[in-house]
Amino acid sequence: MNILDNIPDEPMEVSIAFPTQAYFLSGIRDFTLNLVKNVTGFSEQWAFRFQSIVDELCNNAIEFGSAPGDEIKITFITEKSKRITLFVADKGTGPQNNSAEHMKELVEERRTWDHTKTMSIRGRGLPQIVANWTDDLDFIDKEGGGLIVKAVKNLDQDQV
Amino acid sequence: MTPIELIISDVNLEGSDRIVKQVTFIGQLDESNVDEQARKVYELLETMPEKSALIFDFAELEYMNSRSIGYLTDWYSKMTEKAGKLVITQARDNIEDILKVVGLTQIIEFYLTIDEAKLALTSV
Repeated sequence: MNILDNIPDEPMEVSIAFPTQAYFLSGIRDFTLNLVKNVTGFSEQWAFRFQSIVDELCNNAIEFGSAPGDEIKITFITEKSKRITLFVADKGTGPQNNSAEHMKELVEERRTWDHTKTMSIRGRGLPQIVANWTDDLDFIDKEGGGLIVKAVKNLDQDQV
Repeated sequence: MTPIELIISDVNLEGSDRIVKQVTFIGQLDESNVDEQARKVYELLETMPEKSALIFDFAELEYMNSRSIGYLTDWYSKMTEKAGKLVITQARDNIEDILKVVGLTQIIEFYLTIDEAKLALTSV
């Protein structure tokens, strides 16, 4: 029996809210890996890639978006054999509350870096890892403050 | 804090007087632990003489985030400034995959085994 046989065809939504603390990220990475492996139809390679996408977006939310003790919320919407949609929302209470417009510009600017010649320690997560491993990356200003990052990965045949 | 262990050991290169050390990473490098581990590597780099080499054994490294990749880039630059080498061996598929997407596989030499890395360092 295929592992996906018991998974419904309808979209499934799973949300996790956790305090602004890097301590929790190891568990969230484990959860992401298992979710993608077991309910989406994506290959193991893509399960690991999605693990990195989630980790990088959460790191940014912790560092910039939500103040310590505040909350970060991750929402996965999985559509079996079709796509994964991910939302990472911060509270906008962190030390660097960036607007959606600013984030779009930042990603576009850094995507054009030649990363084989860039030796800086920072700046690879969003423009190089997340942007390269998603089909659609968008930023949405939350009403009342905060940022939502939306990342979509469609399942193509070579990713099964 | 996510578990991670770094083991630093001397490597004997037969037929070469080059100073080589192996750094074995066991666990996951993420936002919760990478700065502390980076300090250990920077301390090691301080002790490495000109034309020396580092073999990073990634066989037991399960995860790297972008900040740890940034540090790796900086360590590579510092070894290159000393006319030295930094090479990677036994990287798991997911580690090689993420290093490839940021372009590091075009810069840093990768070897399947420690013996292959030692051989390459002996012949340079």
